[in-house]
Amino acid sequence: MEYQEYIIAAYAVFAIVLGWDFVAGRLQIRRELRLARSRAARSAARSQTSELSR
Amino acid sequence: MHPLVRWFHTLGSPPYFDRFAARWAPWGYGLGLLVMAWGLYSALFLVPADYQQKDSFRILYIHVPSAWMSLAVFALMALYAAIALVWRIKLCEILAMACAPIGAGFTVITLATGSIWGKPMWGTWWDWDPRLTTELILLFLYLGVIGLYNAIDDRRAAARAAALLAVVGVALLPVIRYSVVWWNSLHQGQTISLLGKSSMDASMMAPLIWMIVGTKLWFIGALLTRARADNLRREQGKAWVAELAGAATGGAK
Repeated sequence: MEYQEYIIAAYAVFAIVLGWDFVAGRLQIRRELRLARSRAARSAARSQTSELSR
Repeated sequence: MHPLVRWFHTLGSPPYFDRFAARWAPWGYGLGLLVMAWGLYSALFLVPADYQQKDSFRILYIHVPSAWMSLAVFALMALYAAIALVWRIKLCEILAMACAPIGAGFTVITLATGSIWGKPMWGTWWDWDPRLTTELILLFLYLGVIGLYNAIDDRRAAARAAALLAVVGVALLPVIRYSVVWWNSLHQGQTISLLGKSSMDASMMAPLIWMIVGTKLWFIGALLTRARADNLRREQGKAWVAELAGAATGGAK
């Protein structure tokens, strides 16, 4: 195959960008769910504290 | 109410959209990957080498579908943005903003693969040619939309500002499309036409069609995934998100 190094470089760019696109989307969802969990945990802890103080 | 209209209204509900996106995004990715895998295999091993460009022309099979996607995604983003601006539909804001990073990715692929192909064929990595320059401006527009959306804390105000930029930026698309016609360009003219006659040999067309379909399917998966993430971000603090996050933890255990 002629110009093999150029072909490999071009296809690598394609794979890397699409791979990043795939990973970035999934990481965003994971981050949002983690934030939601910690928010729920904080609000549960707050409600327990206020119950004890009454 | 017509069932389709009713479905569209239901889709606007954040929890329903989350379930819809979670269900269909893997299908988009999976089918896209399968179709592109076949397209890439055909492009690399089944199609004969070009008589002038030799094997370097195989870069076209990723460059052309990515270039088409970079324009199509921007047009779709502008459409969603216009709907969001006029009718204030939150889901359209989310979808418009989800288009931007995906479109930027395809634009990066277009510029990088074009540059890699240009080195052996034109003897240079880059030329301030109208087609190349306008495609670079498109990348800056995508980055502008992403930057603007992330620069403002209020999600809805941010989406409106970025949507306006997307709508204004759509004027660039015909300039990119016809740049090789309007100006004397180093970039080759149109070789592939969906409706008219293509100057590319029929034996070389099939992988290109597979890749065009594959990138579209991949885009559906990516759009739903990114829109789902933004939807969750906007709905932080709502009971359904906390419930979903809890269920996700339960599932992980």
